[in-house]
Amino acid sequence: MTSRIRSLAAAAAVGLLLTVTAGCSTFSSSGREKYQHAEGGQPSVSGTPTDGAKASAKPVLPYDIRPLLKPEKKYFGVSLPGFPASMQPLQKYASLVGKKPDLVESYAAWGDQFESQQVQDTWDYGALSFIAWEPMKESLADIAAGKDDAYIHQYAQSVKELNLPVAISFAHEMNGFWYPWGTKKATPQQFVSAWKHVHDVFADEGATQVIWVWSPNVIAPMKSVRLKPFWPGDGYVDWVGVIGYYALNGPHTYKTLYDPTMDEVRGFTKKPFVIAETASEGGQRKPADIDDLFRGTAKRSDVVGFVWFDYNKETDWRVDSSSTAAAEFRRQAAGKPYGVDVRKP
Amino acid sequence: MSDWRPPRPGAHEQRGRSQPSWAVNAPDDRPAPEPEPEPGYQAPQYAYEEAPPAYSYAETFTPPSPSYTDDPYGESTPGPGPSAGQEYPRAPYYDQAVNGAYGTHEQAAPVDTYALDEPDAGYAAYEAESVPPGYVLPDVPESAWSFDARRSVRLGRILLACVLLVQAVLSLRLRGTAFEDEALYIASGHYELANLLHGTPLPVDFNGYFSGYPKLYPVLAAVVDTHFGLTGVRVVSLAFMLGTTGLLYATTQRMFNVRAALGAAALFSVVQSTVFLGYFATFDAPALFLLSLSAWVVVRTGRTHTLAVLLAAPPAVLAFGTKYASGLFLPTLVLLAVITAYRHRGWRALARGVVLGIGCAVLLGAGSLVTGHIGGISQTTTNRAHGTDTAMQMLRDCANWGGLLALAAVGGSIAYGMRARMGEMPWVGSATPGPLRRISLGVVLTGSTLLAPLYQIHLGTETSLFKHVGFGLLFAAPMAGLGLARLVGPHFRNPQLGIMLYVGTLTFGMVQAHDEYSFPDSTNMVAYMRTVVNDKGTYLAEESEVPAYYLQDVTTWNQWQNTFNLDYDAKDGKHYSGPAAFHAAVMDGRYNAIVLRGGVTPDNDQAVMDALKGNPHYRLVAVLPFTTTIGSGDYRIWVKQ
Repeated sequence: MTSRIRSLAAAAAVGLLLTVTAGCSTFSSSGREKYQHAEGGQPSVSGTPTDGAKASAKPVLPYDIRPLLKPEKKYFGVSLPGFPASMQPLQKYASLVGKKPDLVESYAAWGDQFESQQVQDTWDYGALSFIAWEPMKESLADIAAGKDDAYIHQYAQSVKELNLPVAISFAHEMNGFWYPWGTKKATPQQFVSAWKHVHDVFADEGATQVIWVWSPNVIAPMKSVRLKPFWPGDGYVDWVGVIGYYALNGPHTYKTLYDPTMDEVRGFTKKPFVIAETASEGGQRKPADIDDLFRGTAKRSDVVGFVWFDYNKETDWRVDSSSTAAAEFRRQAAGKPYGVDVRKP
Repeated sequence: MSDWRPPRPGAHEQRGRSQPSWAVNAPDDRPAPEPEPEPGYQAPQYAYEEAPPAYSYAETFTPPSPSYTDDPYGESTPGPGPSAGQEYPRAPYYDQAVNGAYGTHEQAAPVDTYALDEPDAGYAAYEAESVPPGYVLPDVPESAWSFDARRSVRLGRILLACVLLVQAVLSLRLRGTAFEDEALYIASGHYELANLLHGTPLPVDFNGYFSGYPKLYPVLAAVVDTHFGLTGVRVVSLAFMLGTTGLLYATTQRMFNVRAALGAAALFSVVQSTVFLGYFATFDAPALFLLSLSAWVVVRTGRTHTLAVLLAAPPAVLAFGTKYASGLFLPTLVLLAVITAYRHRGWRALARGVVLGIGCAVLLGAGSLVTGHIGGISQTTTNRAHGTDTAMQMLRDCANWGGLLALAAVGGSIAYGMRARMGEMPWVGSATPGPLRRISLGVVLTGSTLLAPLYQIHLGTETSLFKHVGFGLLFAAPMAGLGLARLVGPHFRNPQLGIMLYVGTLTFGMVQAHDEYSFPDSTNMVAYMRTVVNDKGTYLAEESEVPAYYLQDVTTWNQWQNTFNLDYDAKDGKHYSGPAAFHAAVMDGRYNAIVLRGGVTPDNDQAVMDALKGNPHYRLVAVLPFTTTIGSGDYRIWVKQ
């Protein structure tokens, strides 16, 4: 009888002990969360781990874009109708000019999803994607205020997950008046704030694969608009993407078309240039313009390449608008300075 | 003793294991006549405490005697008894023992394995009394778990192997890249080794801020690391911790018995600190091992010459040298030496402690002469930076980490203080320590669990407390083992209680060790940094020891700057310290690469982050996520552009 009482007392003691200790943090809900974290999973509402952290545990390092910033050779870029819906225009263009483009620009409206497949296909083709991101409907002030942060985060996540380099130009030609984000609708401060905000969201997300292209129009059409107020700072920009076309009227040499803008930019930054959009209007001068573009870009060590706007839009900017232009383009493209192996820049 | 019970009827007729049940003594060899068993009596009955005494034990039973003579208290594990056919010599203290002069004890006289487990042995023997055989059998010593027969010792060792296996599995299931401290000690060990072998100047004075002497464990770790990498060094820690459990078993067995030893080893082997340190390449595992070795020597030499206790001094001092915090437990060893001075009482027992204390002091003095000033002691141990952790929080965490074992130790201490043994086989026994010694033992050993928590409460910092509680638990474990044995009760009456305690301790230990053993996975960070660093750059990294260790083939120690503290002369000609120094250095573009992970040095991290915002010198090149039990985070890497 005594032993039974003793046993019951001992059992009660152990039971009490376990009851008391069960209340400690080890087996509390926070304890379970800790355990799930340690297992590499994010604790969900239901307490089961999600796959989020498992994906992040993938032993793949972020793509290091730094070698692409200033490669040994010059980028031989293009922007084409029909791309990115199809890779065919790209292949056709390559056969036309005798060289595969290594920088392919496309345009994305604010609100569009990041086209991972397009960027992947372009990369597989051997070219770097260059996206001109156009905030057509949202004001720069609202973007800077964080109203579209969910969208920016989502876009940045997609960039990070794809883990391929991509050049992004946000609100290009900001120094012009013709776009909704231009000088008639937004101030330089709003542009800078929006730019920094978008950049910081990408940094928060860890989307380090982006080459940030600050892309003003050449200053010739609006000489009174200074560029410096639009400059976000060296910490926010990788390339200065100057946009300027060889038109029938106006400056039509490398020196007169680009140098004034580049000189002004050099007043506040030493970041490399890329001719983010260029082409030559049709006419007898087109082969000479092409020759000037190739030579001028090759001559300047601080210009990493150009993007040919191969559209028949408003005027025929295409390479093959004339056979002589196409022949000249083909001849110049074969030159040694051009053609970046984006995998081994 | 009122609870003493006679052996079952016929037990005085001695049999050897190989004898058939009908082989009994001749009538003339038997002692005084004994009463007839009551009708219907079923033998054997092992629950002697519940069976009424039928006759005077002292008249009928010849107890076994120890085979050694230098053990006046009969507390040690005896050697094998006389073989079959030999008479057991009557021990000089037998009468005293029988009459309770020394009380009872957990251990008993030497025995071999005998046939008490034959269920019908006694009854058959009783029935055969009327047929006198023509030969005499020797006395059969009693054999049971209550004293350490060869069988129980062997079984105990098998179970110990199982305990060690569980411990090893629990430790080996932990995974992770090098923790900051591991990286620091191993990397420093390589420099210390080069300094020892080739006189290569040390990059920094590790002695000035280490919590252990840098020419001891770090050198061993570096040697192992050279051949087997981090895993090898961690396996060495596992070996130390398994050795600690083994020595704990031996110590407890020496003090009490196999059952208590198994309980002690089982409980200690699964607490979080043991599991954690079993796969953690720092000073802690070897220091614990050396402390347990010292404790074992103290107990093992308890019945020999007083000066033999000096053998415990070298491992004790070495434990202190290995990790200075071990010094907190040197008084425990000294007190243990006094309490386990079984040959002596009073001042003679105190002398044993004094001898050990002097031995330790002499060795410490000699060591300090060799090593010179050890600045790390004050920085990491005695004068550690005071924190803001509350006493209540620390005590609550300690209760989480070691509460079950500590409570078992308290229970064991109380039970031991009240009664020296459970009295399973009270007619078999020898002297036990007196109540003062028993209570002292419980207080000293169990009280040691409080040393580390109280000291860190005094310092106000919980840093490393989850490891340090393990040191106290090592000393409390023998009492916890005894508590577990008492919980199970005589003759394994309540095994379920012991199992519950063990399983509860194991569950807590396993989960807690898993929680604590959670460091940011630095694999990707190190891989990325490998593409960034060279032998000329300067790099700022939170927990810089980790990349410095993994990238020691391409960088040297002084190329790395951690985020703990900095004094900086900026380009503006001003001198900065603290967060301002980090801010100024980053603004100046001082570093070729910067790695932050957040959380370790929040103030300095913020200063660096502020300086990096829009900084034209740096580009964010990688954000590498990790998860720990605390939550998710990122390694963020900037490189100079």
